[in-house]
Amino acid sequence: MNTEYAYSVFMSIRHGLLALLSQGSRHGYQLRAEFEASTGATWPLNIGQVYTTLARMERDGLVAPGEQDEQGRIVYSITPDGATEVGRWFATPITQTERPRDELAIKLAMAVTTQDVDVAGVVQAQRTATMRTLQELTRSKRGLDSPLDTAQTLILDSKIFQAEAELRWLDHCEAVLSRRSLQHPQEKQ
Amino acid sequence: MIDRDPSPVPPVAEEDPGRALVVELADVSRVHVEGTQFVVALKEVSLKVSAGELIAVMGPSGSGKSTLLNIAGGLDRATSGGVMVEGELLNVLLPSRLAALRRRRVGYVFQDLNLIPSLTAVENVMLPRELDGVRTAKARQEALAVLGEIGVADLAERFPDELSGGQRQRVAIARALVGERRLILADEPTGALDTATGDDILRLLRARADAGAAVILVTHEPRYAGWADRVVFLRDGQIVDSATAGLASAR
Repeated sequence: MNTEYAYSVFMSIRHGLLALLSQGSRHGYQLRAEFEASTGATWPLNIGQVYTTLARMERDGLVAPGEQDEQGRIVYSITPDGATEVGRWFATPITQTERPRDELAIKLAMAVTTQDVDVAGVVQAQRTATMRTLQELTRSKRGLDSPLDTAQTLILDSKIFQAEAELRWLDHCEAVLSRRSLQHPQEKQ
Repeated sequence: MIDRDPSPVPPVAEEDPGRALVVELADVSRVHVEGTQFVVALKEVSLKVSAGELIAVMGPSGSGKSTLLNIAGGLDRATSGGVMVEGELLNVLLPSRLAALRRRRVGYVFQDLNLIPSLTAVENVMLPRELDGVRTAKARQEALAVLGEIGVADLAERFPDELSGGQRQRVAIARALVGERRLILADEPTGALDTATGDDILRLLRARADAGAAVILVTHEPRYAGWADRVVFLRDGQIVDSATAGLASAR
């Protein structure tokens, strides 16, 4: 996992927990359960991550610990600064540079410039794999029909659109490569 | 005219042995003659589709997707190779028998061709049954039942221009389904629909497959191919690969 990606995951968890706290005070286990429920368990959290994140947000003045409940769990509340931060998060679009580097694009670029690599084969193998992913995602989505599943459906849709975009890009790669090989038959495909 | 390259053997798409075979293409080729040139639209394509399966066919323009669909449904004839639909070898059928088989066993959904504007939704759906000689009252009853099944019973008396794009496509699907046809052929049925409406159409086709129909869907949209049990990729008239969803998972 590269640092950029780790950072974006870290920030998503932080803001996600803060958004839940903006709905009312909660303790760590509640936050974990609700985070997983609203993202369809796409990003499972361990309780350690939740408490580490809460401790850092407390240090940054975004949340404040309250009293312990009968089971000794500390209930956290959002501070005014935390509420501002949630508002800013929702209002700010995510830019492409905050997302992880695209390993596949790098692989394809390397395949094109490396001797004796069957680029068309790389494209085809990836297309089949991504299509299987898309089939599995669609199957998961078929299982969710209740309106209560809206959040989970939208998360799955996000992954479906990503898989779709990748497949379109692979088709594009293939079309470009085959045009090249027609125009410059001496160049390797 | 068809070169027989012995090297890469095109993968034959897997089949589910527990289900009845509805359509089988065996080494099907289709060659068009254009002036002095032979154009190979399909080259030794083999494909089996069983009841309960939804198969998506993908490929760039000119890869042979629609030709494959038309041959599977008896709208076009193979130059060589065998085509079986529910146990009947289409290659040897007389034109009149072929026309009857197309009407009774095969349902088509196209992007456009679609509804007759001067007939209501229910009348459009009744049409293939009436052509089959079914009495009007019975045809109407069947048509209403299918419209109900796909959730558009309330649109029965509307004319096509009083329906939205998604509603028209649903009625077109009802027309393709009426009369218990077991082979449904859909060529870009989601055409210009938005993705949520397109998903509804796929949900419908998926439900028909789950209820025992064999469905072949031609699409250039990966999103809709994702609904299929198997996705077949065509390139230059040949099957180059196929992706099968969760082979081990129970349905």
